[in-house]
Amino acid sequence: MSLPRFAVLLASLGFSALTLAASPAPLNPAPATKYPLTLDNCGVPLTFDKAPGKAVTIGQSATEILYSLGLADKLVGTSLWFNNVLPQFQEQNARVPRLADNDPSFEAVINKRPDLVAVQFEWMVGPQGVVGTRQQFSELKIPTYLMPSDCEGKDNLVGADGTRLRPFSVDSLYKTVDQLAQIFDVQARGAELTADLRSRLAKAQASVKDKQLKDASVLFWFSSADLQVDPYVAGRKGVPALMASTLGLRNIVESDEEWPTVGWETIAKANPTILVLARMDRRRFPADDFQKKLEFLKADPVTKNMDAVKHNRIVILDAQAMEATIRTFDGIEELANAVDHFDLHK
Amino acid sequence: MTAVFAGRLLRKISLHTAWVLAVLLAAIIAGIAIGETPISLSLVFQVLANKLWGAGFVLDPIDEGIVWNYRLTRALVAAACGAGLAISGVVLQSLLRNPLADPYLLGISAGASTGAVLVAIIGIGAGAISLSAGAFAGAVAAFALVALLARSTGAVSGSGQIILAGIAGSQLFNALTSFLITKSANSEQARGIMFWLLGNLSGVRWQSVTLAVPVVLIGLAVCLWHRRSLDAFMFGSDSAAALGVPVRRVQAILIATVALVTAVMVSLVGSIGFVGLVVPHAARLLVGVRHGRLIPVSALAGAIFLIAADVLSRTAIKGQVLPVGVITALIGAPVFAVILIKAKGGR
Amino acid sequence: MSNMKQLAPHVDVLSCAGLNWSIKGVPIVRDVALQLRRGETLGLIGPNGSGKSSLLKLLSGIRAPASGEIHLNGVALAGMKRRDVAQMIAVVEQQAETSDAITVLDAVELGRTPWLSALEPWSDADDGIVQQALIDVDMADKPKRAWHSLSGGERQRVHIARALAQRPQILLLDEPTNHLDIQHQLSILGLVRSLPVTTLIALHDLNQALACDRLAVMDKGALIAIGEPSQVLTCELLRQTFGVEAHYLTDPYDGTRILRFRS
Repeated sequence: MSLPRFAVLLASLGFSALTLAASPAPLNPAPATKYPLTLDNCGVPLTFDKAPGKAVTIGQSATEILYSLGLADKLVGTSLWFNNVLPQFQEQNARVPRLADNDPSFEAVINKRPDLVAVQFEWMVGPQGVVGTRQQFSELKIPTYLMPSDCEGKDNLVGADGTRLRPFSVDSLYKTVDQLAQIFDVQARGAELTADLRSRLAKAQASVKDKQLKDASVLFWFSSADLQVDPYVAGRKGVPALMASTLGLRNIVESDEEWPTVGWETIAKANPTILVLARMDRRRFPADDFQKKLEFLKADPVTKNMDAVKHNRIVILDAQAMEATIRTFDGIEELANAVDHFDLHK
Repeated sequence: MTAVFAGRLLRKISLHTAWVLAVLLAAIIAGIAIGETPISLSLVFQVLANKLWGAGFVLDPIDEGIVWNYRLTRALVAAACGAGLAISGVVLQSLLRNPLADPYLLGISAGASTGAVLVAIIGIGAGAISLSAGAFAGAVAAFALVALLARSTGAVSGSGQIILAGIAGSQLFNALTSFLITKSANSEQARGIMFWLLGNLSGVRWQSVTLAVPVVLIGLAVCLWHRRSLDAFMFGSDSAAALGVPVRRVQAILIATVALVTAVMVSLVGSIGFVGLVVPHAARLLVGVRHGRLIPVSALAGAIFLIAADVLSRTAIKGQVLPVGVITALIGAPVFAVILIKAKGGR
Repeated sequence: MSNMKQLAPHVDVLSCAGLNWSIKGVPIVRDVALQLRRGETLGLIGPNGSGKSSLLKLLSGIRAPASGEIHLNGVALAGMKRRDVAQMIAVVEQQAETSDAITVLDAVELGRTPWLSALEPWSDADDGIVQQALIDVDMADKPKRAWHSLSGGERQRVHIARALAQRPQILLLDEPTNHLDIQHQLSILGLVRSLPVTTLIALHDLNQALACDRLAVMDKGALIAIGEPSQVLTCELLRQTFGVEAHYLTDPYDGTRILRFRS
């Protein structure tokens, strides 16, 4: 080999090495899980001798995370649904039996003889668990995995939906993905997923960086018991608050509760720059329908004078994106995209 | 001679009406001026001036909207509901000869809860029927059941029957409500219903005013018309009959009026307790038991009490709204205890 | 009924015939026929549970009989408005109580209820009538006394004052002297007899009953005797109906006949 060619070879080798080192993909392939695996989950130690063969979920968020990890064939039962499953998982979901649209009974869950029960909300399996307590499950040797986003830094005994002691951090979602991937021994897929989620987050942040959102404020309206009564809006420590702070927006609500009620008077006076309305399939309260929410905002003699309503700076987001789910990232992207197109200086 | 007496009566009425209205007006203005966000008294007057006689002040449309569409309506409905619940309490306590009678004795609040829960949690009406409509339907249904139950015991005109029927009806509908909530609700739905059930005026707008105020005025008129008959029940219904009161007819008219007024109030603002129970006793301590004075004074006291309770519910904890029913209970219970002690001491 | 005498025709202000009433199938008043004559004081006596109170309730229109007719001044009671009846008949019940914090004046003013209306509001004349009623029962010095501070006897007198304030033509009293001191018992009875109203008074004390113009005796829901007191209250009847042995004595003080009971 001539010297110039050898140099080129060395250089290209070096380049490859450099790019390998600089790429966000981990240098080492993801390790296989070493069993027995013990991890602490919301104060309860869980031990797995091997990857669970059958799993039941209580909570659409847990379900969709497991689907995202490619574990649909391990699911033998799902429950607690808020709307239709994400379209990309529709086919797989159709093959998994649905135990209940709302909370399932204890027996329905244990009947499936699961090796793991993955739970979205602590109040399903907590000390006053609606389905049953974690202890009840562990007595039958069924470990319950509670999503860290609902227990870490959160006191579920205070406030109707619990109160966050620390602001929600997206790390808890990454942790959920990592831990579930560890439990099921699919850590490669888990790492891939978290990497993808991180990059989406970063991209959304970058896209609004030059919009000077410093003085822009936001309000997230979930629903209301009746169309004209005080609405349920997002507190300052929950998932929507994270969305806001990720993009640099200020949440006008000062409560630490997840979904406090705040009067329209206070909201109107605070005059948020942007309004985010939740879109959901449920129709219990008239305000569940985001069209009704829009109609109300435009018709009410006070709210129609709010800047956000006058200049149509209203974003409609999936209600599920406002909870700790895999859709949170979709939500952040949608919100960033919408904000991008708004003229914030009117 | 009738003309002279009519003249004296009218003068007496207009004098009392004048000061009653003045006090009520002051309470309403206070109710408008105090709220979740600071709005100055001068701003309030400017808004009222603009709206009432087109004064033309240049004001922030949001401030103007808040004062006129939110706070004024809420104060008016609070006054109407407070008055309505208070006079309902007076009438029921007199008719049923029971100092613990309150407007919800007839099963109305329990029925309203069931109706609201059916709409909000079971989803009857699929979001097209409001909580209020469901509550009203439930209230009327429960009252109809209670009335039927009381009549079918077929007893001689006694008040014991309707109280028992009311308790039975209330228990039934409360059990239904609990069943529906535990069976179907997730925490958010249950919380929504609970908040509504404990009473709140946050959804009040001008349509509520056009319903609440006339209903209360009609109720007030009917009860005042029967003030002497109500006095005659002092020694029981037999004694009233002996004094020339058509007992069955008067009971039917007054109970139906009370039921209607209460059902409308509960459907507008949820179950606000203690007003119908405590205000009549307080008013009795002030002006005695003759209904010619007791009814108007109870109405006024109830109006002021509920306006104050609503203001307190919005301002007691910054940034959070408490259910009005909680405030009325927190104030009402100790006040009731004081009244009981004072009354006992007087014997 | 065997003691009923044929008297000269009087104007019957209140009469009933064939009156029947029962509670839950138990007959309380059985086929009673009775005429109350204008101006008289008719005493109604009988053992406990004989139906005296119920008869009074039926005659005042407070309860409706199962069968039979009642006529007030010749007009059927059943069709009359309560207000019209109350302007004619006043009732003093046995134990009317209240837990309201009322005054004596409040209670007596109630008596004007059947006469008041939207077009006829309270007037000075009403004040005068109430005042007179209080004077008649000797309570005029205590108009503002609280009801709960009154003794049983005082309460009874207030009830009577209320009935008097009604300015009735007929007064029905159900054992009005039950809780009174002897002084007040006598004064009330004297008052009742002296009033120009027709009175039907249920009594417990048989000697007091002797002072009435006529007596009607009830036993187990039926009217078993009516007529002049000494002719109705025979030793035979006393034995059969009241289960006591008695004989008449003449009081040396004023020559009136009084009953003496033996055990």
